[in-house]
Order: sequence, then structure tokens, then C-alpha cells
Amino acid sequence: MQQKEFTSEVDFVVRIGGEGGEGVISCGELFAQAAARTEYHVFTYISYPAEIRGGFSMIQIRVRDWTIYSMGSEVDYLIVFNQQAWDRTSRYLKKGGTVIYDPDMIVVEKEKEATFLPLPLTKISVDQTGSKLGKNIVALGALGCLFNIEQSIMEKLIHDRFKQKGSEIIEKNLKALKAGYRSGEQNRWECKLHLKSNPEAKTHYMMLSGNEAIALGAIAAGCRFVAGYPITPATPIFETLTRIMPKVGGKAIQMEDEIASISAVIGASFAGEKVITPTSGPGLQLMGEQLNLAAMLELPVVLVNVQRGGPSTGLPTKTEQSDLKFAIYGTAGESPRIILAPTTVEDCFYQTIRAFNLAERFQMPVIILSDQSIGYRKATVSIPDFSGIQEIKGYVTLDDLVIPGTEKIDIVSRIEPTPESIKDYKRFKITEDGISPITRPGTPGGQYIATGLEHTETGKADYSPENHLKMTRKRFKKLESLSRRFEKNPPEYYGSEEAEIGIIGWGSTEGAIREARYLAEERGILVRHLHPKVISPLPDRQIRHFLAGLKQVMVVEENYTGQFAHFIKAKFGIKPIEVHKCEGVPITPEEIYTGIEKVARIVDEKNITRV
Amino acid sequence: MKRILQEYKSKIAPVWCPGCGDYGVLRALHQALADLDVAPEDIITVSGIGCSGRLSHYLNTYSLHGTHGRAVPTALGAKAARPDLTVVAVGGDGDGLGIGGGHIPHAARKNVDITYLLIDNRIYGLTKGQASPTTPVGQRTKTTPYGVYDHPLSAIPIFLAYDVSFIARASSVRVKELTGIVKQAISHKGMSIVYILSPCRTFPVLELKSLKSLILQLPDDHPREDKMKAMERAYSSDPIYTGIFYQIQKPTLEDHLQNDFEKACVTEKNNEKITIKTLMQSYI
Repeated sequence: MQQKEFTSEVDFVVRIGGEGGEGVISCGELFAQAAARTEYHVFTYISYPAEIRGGFSMIQIRVRDWTIYSMGSEVDYLIVFNQQAWDRTSRYLKKGGTVIYDPDMIVVEKEKEATFLPLPLTKISVDQTGSKLGKNIVALGALGCLFNIEQSIMEKLIHDRFKQKGSEIIEKNLKALKAGYRSGEQNRWECKLHLKSNPEAKTHYMMLSGNEAIALGAIAAGCRFVAGYPITPATPIFETLTRIMPKVGGKAIQMEDEIASISAVIGASFAGEKVITPTSGPGLQLMGEQLNLAAMLELPVVLVNVQRGGPSTGLPTKTEQSDLKFAIYGTAGESPRIILAPTTVEDCFYQTIRAFNLAERFQMPVIILSDQSIGYRKATVSIPDFSGIQEIKGYVTLDDLVIPGTEKIDIVSRIEPTPESIKDYKRFKITEDGISPITRPGTPGGQYIATGLEHTETGKADYSPENHLKMTRKRFKKLESLSRRFEKNPPEYYGSEEAEIGIIGWGSTEGAIREARYLAEERGILVRHLHPKVISPLPDRQIRHFLAGLKQVMVVEENYTGQFAHFIKAKFGIKPIEVHKCEGVPITPEEIYTGIEKVARIVDEKNITRV
Repeated sequence: MKRILQEYKSKIAPVWCPGCGDYGVLRALHQALADLDVAPEDIITVSGIGCSGRLSHYLNTYSLHGTHGRAVPTALGAKAARPDLTVVAVGGDGDGLGIGGGHIPHAARKNVDITYLLIDNRIYGLTKGQASPTTPVGQRTKTTPYGVYDHPLSAIPIFLAYDVSFIARASSVRVKELTGIVKQAISHKGMSIVYILSPCRTFPVLELKSLKSLILQLPDDHPREDKMKAMERAYSSDPIYTGIFYQIQKPTLEDHLQNDFEKACVTEKNNEKITIKTLMQSYI
């Protein structure tokens, strides 16, 4: 099985590039959907321009016969709609790759080692449909021909996608599709691989984006209230939830800004609902004060931050892992919060459920740190076993709760006082693990005051020195009991115990680091890879165990200053080698591998000196 | 069994200065809730920051004393989540017309069924005497040592422009009238604002004596659906009218959310909530 992880018979990357508004993304998504109906796995990466029209737009689709961990590094099949797309992406073309291009629009450097397939996309589209708008579908047909995808599958996908737009649009697109297939056949393109439809194999898989996975995770966790404000790249979570919430009996409200959004979810959480608000970096900043209020009132709130390039408006449609410090430390005064970082599209679903479980049980805000690359990435995700979903009511010891996964999902709710204990109810009662039962409004005798002022166990405002220390301790005790619990989770590291080089990453870079490790292992360099999904509080002992015996530790992240590296340095007193990428695009396995190679040389030299 | 005022009082004693208008507002709210016979456990009160923010501490309800300016969106979330509960928000002139002023039009657009008590003393009292959005021009305060030059806001005309579906003005010096208005505001289906003139005794920018001499109840025949008439009377500074300026009926946020639910479920085959399983299968 391990072998299979890094050797595949089928593993290729298709990239389509053009101008925003040319239908680049829909062409790629339709191809990805068709590929997802085969026995293979699919993984897409999308880069939008921030403008609605114009600007460079591209989609990359990787198809593989085994789980896919990253978008891949080099492109096997490049489809370019304009000169800019060629100029910007040709350097990623693999030696011996294939290029489909419009010879009327683009001049290519043919000295590259590649197969060039000229196809006058615009001309064909105009001839067939009377408009150049259909050129993306001509390209789709050409791809269908190249991979021998049954035309009927593509036709069905076009019907589904354009059914809202009416039969005329569907007809035009079908004509364009046929023309695309035909021109490939006429030019006698060699079919490289048959992407044969296999619906049987696919009944257990969904095709989801990370953003959709978070929305579904929230619903599965029992969340029935969302309030939000649109912000790229988190908007699809909110859009998905506004569509789904009423269907499951929940409520979705668009507010006037981010402050109002988090205020509304705090109100709804106080009223007894499981709540979520999705946002991105700038929105997280606006929500800062209210997040602290939630921590002070000990209310469960789940906040998703789909990170984008910053600072300020920054790069709204690009990816970056640069809100980590704000998420962990961005509080005035000290208040506990939990930070989770999902690693894959599938993981977005399970970490969201986990976020709700932790928020509800520990009565504090949980921030899910996703990013644009994982949010907009689409991947095949297996459907969980529904018989493994069970609701846990009342008090259970925390050790009984498993991390949500395909086989078993526990859904946890908040702990309410018993009819006996409500008689002398203290909302903020000091307990052993810091968790005090919470009443649901409507419960007679359970009334209390929740104030952002420092307060006593009953909720009464109290600024005395001893009370402030006592209650601060109470709030942080929850975090400590949580931290102890995390130590018992299975370790989140992979690779050889004998390795002298360690890599630490977080969030969406998991797949790229994993593939870099495989590349290194193929070349005889052993690497150990730690990728904690709970960023705060970190399981300290597990990490110390990981660090033991390592000669060099690399921390890989997509930002400029090395935010996680600082966190690791401060906590564990080590001096890691920092690998940063701050270009708005995901780091690739090759880039990480180059780093590993350099570090391996340092490690080697040290050995030599010692001898 | 008739409910008594005592049931609505919390065990915490108010910390306001003697003679503060907020005592009158608290008393009116206690009385209104008792008269309306709403069970204390079925009430959520949300307050902002300032002297008025402390009001939620003195109610035996589910009370949330939150941040500055956010009482209205917080109360909105609570009501949307739990339409079965009575939700009251409380704030001052800084809370509702300054820092949180931007939330009012949007809560009004949604017409969420909450009651907002906006208590105006024309000064920041808790922080000891700085200018507020309603402090009169020329007034010397600690942050305007040479006199206020910002033009004060007129709350009622603003709320009329927002089309808040219930708008009233009252004063904390006439508790009985205030109680009656608060009762009608809570009973109103939709967003109701009771704008309460309430003198601060420590920083008497709004003087008790002149207030008493200026206030006058709106005539009995005041047409509550006539926005222009309401606007005219709202701008009058002598007399300062009290009473219900404007009241109309329109669908509430809770109505709209119920509609969404029905619309979403009609499109499903079985006309009922769908399960996570069905939901996930739609992504295959």
C-alpha cells in the first residue's frame, strides 16, 4: 500500500489557461467532472483573477489512480486560450507534454520538447455557433477526444450545467462540443489514455470543494444557524449554507458586515443553537472584539477563516497561510480559543465536525484556518458511513470521543445542568475541567447574566484581584484539559523513525509535503513529517517525541515571515530551517524537495565533520 | 396566577447614580413584562456598553451584556434562532446612534421582531462626561473643551427614514407613560424602537427641569401610519412630543425565514426536511 502511495500507473496533470470570462474554469470543471466518473481520483486547483472579466484565469486538474495529495508540479497537458496564458504557463510544461492551442491567437515556441496540437478554437466556435463564446466547449470536446471520454457523458454534463440558461444555449454548447470531438478525430490525435466511465466505482464518492466540504460538515455536526457577509474566498461556504440551511430546517441570514455577522451568531448561540460564520482574513480582523466576547461569555462559536493573500485587501483570490498569528494571538486581553487547520478537502468536512464538537463541549470559539487553495480545490471525497454517525448527549468523559472520520462520527452537544443542579445554578461554576453546564433560554430557573465584564461564578460583575485570577484560570483550564486530551490522539506524523530530517507543516500544504517526502525517499533521503491539525493548543508531548533524534527540522509554510516557525521556536526552543513561499500560489512538492535536498547536504556535512 | 414585578428583578442591586433616569426605564420594563405576562425564562435581554448597558444585569431573564454598539445584531441573532422567545435590546445614545448606528437600518430592513430601548442622556456618562452624538452644539464637555461643533442627530426622523415599523419617544421621568409604550412596543410584531429621553444627574446636559416643561403627549388623533405627519412632529423641539409616532405592519424576519423553509422544502419531493445523507448524495 505504501508503495502504491507514490508509484502510479495513471497520474497526469491538465492545465487550462486563458482570460477571465472566457469559460476557462467551466471547461476545466466539466472535464474534472467527467474524469471523476471514471475509476480515477480527481483534484483541481483554480486561480481566478480578482476582476470579473479580464485578467489571467486558470484551472489545473490532476487525475490519478490513487489518492491525490497535491495539485502536482508539472503540466502534462496544457490548453491555452490566449498568448498571456501561454507566456505565463509554458514554463510549467513537462518535457514531452502536450499543448493544445489556438494558432490564430497564439505564437508558441516550438523548440520546446512537446507535442503541439494546433486547434483554431475561436474560428470553430464562430463557424458552429455564430459566437466565439463557445470556444471553451470546443476545447472540452477536444479534451474528450484526446482522452476517449464517451461523448454522451459530456453531453449530459452540459445539459446539467446549462439547464438554467435554456435550450438554445444548450444546443449551441452541444454543437461546440461535437465540433471539438470532430476536429480531434479529423486531426487523428493519438488517444493517450482511455478515461472510461465507471459509475459503479463512483457511488461512494462526492466531488466537493473544500468550501463545500466545510458547509456539509457544519450541517452534519448539527449546525442550524449561519450569519455571514460575503468575502472572497469564503463566500462559497456562505452561499452553500444559505441554499442548504432552509432544507434542513436551519436559518441563514446575510448581515450588513462582519461585526454584525458574528454578533448575530453570538446571539443565536446564546439562544441555544449551534452556529457558524464563514469569513476571510479582513473579516476575521473585524470580528476580533466579538470573538473575545464569545470567549468571555463561554459561548460556542465556530468561525471559518478561508485565508487569502494579505495584508489589507491584498490578493483576494490567491492563497496564503498568513493569518495564523492573528488567529492564535489576535485578542485584546487573554482569552482561550481553539485553532484547527484542515489538510485536504475531505479533512475540511471532518475538522468542521470536530470544530463544533470542541466548541460545544468546551464553550469557546473555534477558528478553522482553511485557505483559498483548499477552499476552491475540488476533489473526490468518499461518502462517510452514515451508520457510524451518532449523537452523544449529556456528559461523557472526553477520552470517549473519537476524532471524526469516515467510519465513526460523534456529534456532541453542550452540557446542560440537571434538574437537580439547576436549583442552585451558577452559570460559570468552577469545575475540575473548567467546563460549567449551560442552560438553554426557555428553561425555568436557568436564567443568568452573561457579561463581557469580569464576573463571578453566578455572572455578577466583579473586578476584585482574586476573582479575576480565579475566573481567568477557569477559562484557561478548559484549554488545559483539552490539551491533555489531544496528547492521547494518534500522533500526526508520518515517515521513518530513523529519519534525521524532519518537516513540519500545517493546513493545505500537507499533500505537497507528503509528495516531497516520497520524492526524497525514492532518492534515499529519509524524512519524518509532522502535520498537526490542531494548531492551538498544540499537543506538546507528541511534538517533543517527533523532534527527538532529528538533526534538522524544516518548517514549510505559505507566508513571508514564518509564522508557524516562530510559534514552534517559541514553544520548543528549536531553530528550524524555514521554507517560505509567498507568491499567492501553493507550494509544490518539487519546491519542497529542493529544500530537503539542501538540508540533507547540511546533515551529511555535519556527519563528516563529526567523523 | 398574575405575575408580579418581583419575578423580573435579579438579585443584583443597580449601581447607577441616585436619581438616574435609568431607574425609571428599568422599573417600566419590569412592569411591562409583568403586565404582559411573559415568563422570565422566555425573555432574552441584550445590552450594550455604558450606564444603560448595565440594565440587563438587573433583570431575571436570560441576559447578555455584550460589546459597545452590537446589542441590536446580537438580539437579532437570538430572535432569528428562537422566535419563541421575547427579545429586548437596550442601549444608549453612544451605543445606538454612534458606534452601533450602522446596524439599525439593517435590523429595520429585516423587521426582526425585537424591541430596542434607546436611552438618550445626551452625554457619555459612564466614562464621565464626553460628547455623544446627541450632545447639543456649543456644549462644553471633557472632549469638547471649547464647545461641541458636530451637529446633534435627531433619532426619530432617522428611524422614520429607516422605516422602523414601530417608533416611539418617551421619557424616563414619566414612568407610567413609558411602561404603556414599552408594552405596546413588545406586543408589536416587528422591529420596535422606544427612544427614551433620560436625564443624567451627574452630567446634566439634558436638564430634568427643561425636559419636564417641554414634553407633551402626541394628540390622541395622531395618525400612526402617516410618516410625513410623524416626521413633522418628530422635528418639533417645543413641545417635544412623546408617544407612538409611527406604527405599520409588515412581514418580520421570522416570517421570511419560515417562508424560506417552505420554499426550500416544497422543491424537495417529500415536502419535508432533508437528511445529511440525501444532501451528500446530491454531490455524487
